[in-house]
This record gives sequence, C-alpha cells and structure tokens, in this order.
Amino acid sequence: MSEATRESVQQSNGKVETSHHPQTDPKRNDKHYYGIPPIKHAHWTWQIPVYFWIGGIGAGTQLFSTVAQLLGHEDAALKRASRYTVLVTMILSPILLIWDLGRPERFYNMMRILKLRSPMSTQSWSLLTFGNLGGLLAARQAAEDGLLGRNALSRLLLRLIPERLLSVLALPFGLFVGFNTGNLISATSVPLWARNWALMAPTFLASGTSTALSWLSLVLHLTRSGEAKTLRALHRAEKATIVIEAGLIAVSLVRMSRWGKPLFSKSVAPLFVGGALVAGIVAPFALLFSGRETRGKNILSSLLVLAGGLAFRFSLIKAGRISADDPEAYFTFASGESAPQPEDKV
Amino acid sequence: MATGFLTDTTVCIGCKACEVACKQWNQLPADGYELTGDSYDNTGHLSGTTWRHVAFIENPKKRRLTGDVDLVALAEDVTEPLPGGAELDALGRWAFMSDVCKHCVEAPCQQACPTGSIIRNEFDNVYIQPDVCNGCGYCVPACPYGVITQVPHDGRAFKCTLCYDRQIDGLEPACAKACPTNSIQFGDVEDLKVVAEERVRELHDKGYTQAYVWGTPEVGGTGGINGNHSKFVLMDEPEAYNLPKHPYLPQEKVKGGVIAGAVAAGVLGAVVALAFRD
Repeated sequence: MSEATRESVQQSNGKVETSHHPQTDPKRNDKHYYGIPPIKHAHWTWQIPVYFWIGGIGAGTQLFSTVAQLLGHEDAALKRASRYTVLVTMILSPILLIWDLGRPERFYNMMRILKLRSPMSTQSWSLLTFGNLGGLLAARQAAEDGLLGRNALSRLLLRLIPERLLSVLALPFGLFVGFNTGNLISATSVPLWARNWALMAPTFLASGTSTALSWLSLVLHLTRSGEAKTLRALHRAEKATIVIEAGLIAVSLVRMSRWGKPLFSKSVAPLFVGGALVAGIVAPFALLFSGRETRGKNILSSLLVLAGGLAFRFSLIKAGRISADDPEAYFTFASGESAPQPEDKV
Repeated sequence: MATGFLTDTTVCIGCKACEVACKQWNQLPADGYELTGDSYDNTGHLSGTTWRHVAFIENPKKRRLTGDVDLVALAEDVTEPLPGGAELDALGRWAFMSDVCKHCVEAPCQQACPTGSIIRNEFDNVYIQPDVCNGCGYCVPACPYGVITQVPHDGRAFKCTLCYDRQIDGLEPACAKACPTNSIQFGDVEDLKVVAEERVRELHDKGYTQAYVWGTPEVGGTGGINGNHSKFVLMDEPEAYNLPKHPYLPQEKVKGGVIAGAVAAGVLGAVVALAFRD
C-alpha cells in the first residue's frame, strides 16, 4: 500500500470511495477463485464402493478359511462356503472395475506394466493373482463336490491342485486386495482421504474382515451347516473385529479432524452415521454382546454388519467427492503442515 | 533437455489467445456456451478439453483507485502517488493468469497411472499416450492442481501435451506462439528459471515486492513434487489463482500405507487364530 492510499484509508476510517469498484463484497473470500474446486474429484460411480465391499469380503473370507486350515481345523462346510465366496467375489470384482473404465475394451492395459507406487496397478495385479488362485481352489472344490461330474477332469483337478499350498499362496494377495483399497483412495489429493493415509488400509481391512466373517456366519447359519467349533470361532472373531473396526474408525475420525467434516454433512451423514456406525457397528455390537447367542440374533447381526460395510464404503467415496469439491478444505490442507510430507514417518 | 513454460501473469492482458490457439491446434471441442456470471472468465477451470485457461482475478480488496485515473500511466507501470490519492497498481487489482498443466518433476498423475499411459517424453514433459489410456480415471484425483480430467463420451483422460507434436518439429507450443505480450514463454526449464528470477527481481525493484515465482520446490511444487516445469510469476497468494501453496505428492505415502496394511493383516490374522483357541 502506498503512502497516499494509507493516508486516504486512515482519513476515511478504513473506507475509501472508489470510482471503479463502489463496494467490496464483505462475504467474498479472496482465498478462492469464485469457489471453483481447485482439484477434480474422482468420477467413481456405484461400481467402485461395491467393489471395495465385495473385494473386502473375498479377502476376509480367505483369511478366515486359511487360518482355520493352517490350525488343522478342517470343516468341509466352511471350506466350501469360503472357496465359492472367493470365486464369486473375484468374478464380480473385475466386472465392476472394468465396467467403471472409460474405455472398458482396453482393460488389459492394466497388465502391461507393474508400478509399485500406483495402488491401482498393484490392485490390478493382486486381483489377478488372487482371482486365479481362488479360481483354482474353487475348481478343486467343485471337483470334490462332484459338480464337474465324476470324470477324468475332476480326478485330474483333485490330483493337480495342491490345496494347502495354493491357500497359503492366495492369502497374502487376498489380504493385499483387502487393505490396498484403502491406499487406493488415500494416495490422492483429496484432503479427507489423504489425511488418513496411515489408517485407511487397516480400517478397510478390518471392515472387510468383519463383513467377511458376517457373510460366512450368515451362510453357515442359513444352510444350517458348519461345525460348532467353526461357528464359535466365527462369532468370537466377529466380536473382536467389530471392536477393532470401531476403534480404527474412531482414530481415523480424530486424524481426519476438520477435513473429516463431509462425513457428517447432510448428504453423507445418514449413510455414515446411520449406516456405517449405527447399523454396521453399534447395533451388531449390542446384539452380539448381549445375552445368549441365538440363531436369529446372529443372522440379524450378520446382515447389519454387511449392510454397514457397504454403507461405510459408499459414505467414504461420497464424502471424498465433497471434500475434493471444497476449495477451503483443499487450500487449508495444502497450505502447510497438514498435508502428508515426504519426511513423515509411517 | 527439459522444456517447460514460464507464465508471467504480470503482463497477461487476459486476451485468451492462448486458450483459442490451444483449442485450434489440438482440435479440442468446445465446452459449451456457459456463462459463469463471475467475471469474463466463462471457462472456469482446466479440463480434458481445455488445456489453457485464463483466470480473471478481480481483487478489489487490495488496490483502490480514486479520482481521475490515467490509464496510460497505469499501463506504463507508474507507481508514484498520483493526484487525488490514486494508486496505480493494475497488477494486483486486476490480474489474469493463464493456467496450464504444471508438468511436475515428480508427476502424481504419472505415478498413479496403472497402464503406464502417462510417460515423460524426450522433452521431459508429462505426456498421456492416448492409445494406451483405458480411462480408469485414477490420475484425476491424484493431480494436486486439478489439471487432468476425463473427457465424457471419449472416456480417456486428457491434458496439455506441451504441444509434443510441435516440439518434435522444432516449433514452440501454440499458446506461447500466440501470446501477444510474451506472458507465456517457452524454453529450456533452466533458462526459464533464470528469466523468472530476473523478472521477479525487476518487479521487486519497481516496488512490487509481492511478486514471486510459483512452481519451485519451495512454493507450488512442494511435498515431493520437486518443482514444476511450468512456472508462474504471481503477484498474489497462490489461492487467489486457484493454486495450492503447498501441494504434495500423494504417492509418497503408498509405502507407509502398505506397511500399515500389512501390520493390520498380521493383527487380524492373529485375532482370527486366537478365536479358534478353546
């Protein structure tokens, strides 16, 4: 400000008559450019959150069944339910992902390169690996169940597919599919997602595991199959993962601090608070921890956890869109220490 | 040799010749005849079909004009106090800024791209190979400047190519060629860095101490991005131009996220194993 302006400002008590702009809009904040979002939001439609949900179920299912197998707990019903679950999730996942592409016919370009720094690339490769291993295991299961008929092919599948080895091999890839969805959204410029980079992957895996356990428990209860020991372990694990998931979400919200606000905005709060928190965590928690376990209660809580997991993923994607479209959120985030820094430790 | 842009916003007159030249040369479709109602800027932002965008920043809070203003003196950079307490500082008052892809040294879009469609070409520019892109759209939320965007109906992502085709033929990009005030300069990044610093020094000497270079590892190209090949001389806070002050490379945290996920996997595996105990 020049001397002349300063004087004239002081003389007129902070206000200056101008010929050019008669008045300055007091509501205007010049730290924005007409409120136009400085970053672009992801175009992701419903396929992506549904994939996150389905992929998480596949990952958690593989975790539970492989651990059971490694501990020497052979339950035919559990094995059957797990193998077919993984197969179905790994058939649906790529369909949803390819559907979402702008050029679906070029999906195979994902396979032209492996980039360890791109969660989308590592996700594609781990899906491919997990899907194929899961497919082989499901083929073996189908042969065992006699779905392929009693022919030479079935015998060949049973002999050639090493069940234990493949399950153990599939486990890390399955787990990677489960938690990498969290890194997929946190490795972006969207404040709400990026701020929570350290806890996004654990939260997604915990949520995926709890939905998978609920799915297995639902299937076993509805088909009235599964050994008592399996069901007991399932319920115990369900209780534990719900608590872990709730803890991770709570810490994530603290970590997101002001940038987590979109989760409680008018359009997302019903999904996040009502769906993910109340229906997906509080209600099943109350059902599982109160009184005697009954079949009906278990089925209800499983359904609630599954719905809650889906709501959680939808609410995160929707809130991320609001966060990306808010110039204030991005500029405060990308103005200093709040944004992730290269020197940050894990 | 790394090539890039230097956009000196202090001499931009908002003629939008760069926008038009870019659209023409690259045969980009129109974005529709929409009026923002905010200013003469009806483009709004960069997109997959707008690779140069001129922002019209009207900043009435800072500079005030009183009395009879000599617009010729204003254009000629006169900064002495004028009769009637008029302060002539057109630069801060009305600012134009021709925005473009920043061509980051460590480009987030390139790191995010799962198909390897986004590459660095021989001019060290960030370039999308349109025959490889499958339209996953993951580069879009990765870009810290909101540059790269998917084009509806086409499905693929597009952004400034820094006129790769023209550079191959030894020509400068269409926008730089069309710019009548030399606000857009094209050249070797190292040369442009010197030009930018000289220009800022010159502006400081004239009394515009608020001038600075945006797109260095200190401002604009921060957080692991290591600077931009498209630099800007700005006169106001970056946010006024819809630019972040301290963006970051989102992929810096992928390794940390994977470690956190692996730890979580171990813990959950142990929890499930414990659940099987009698």
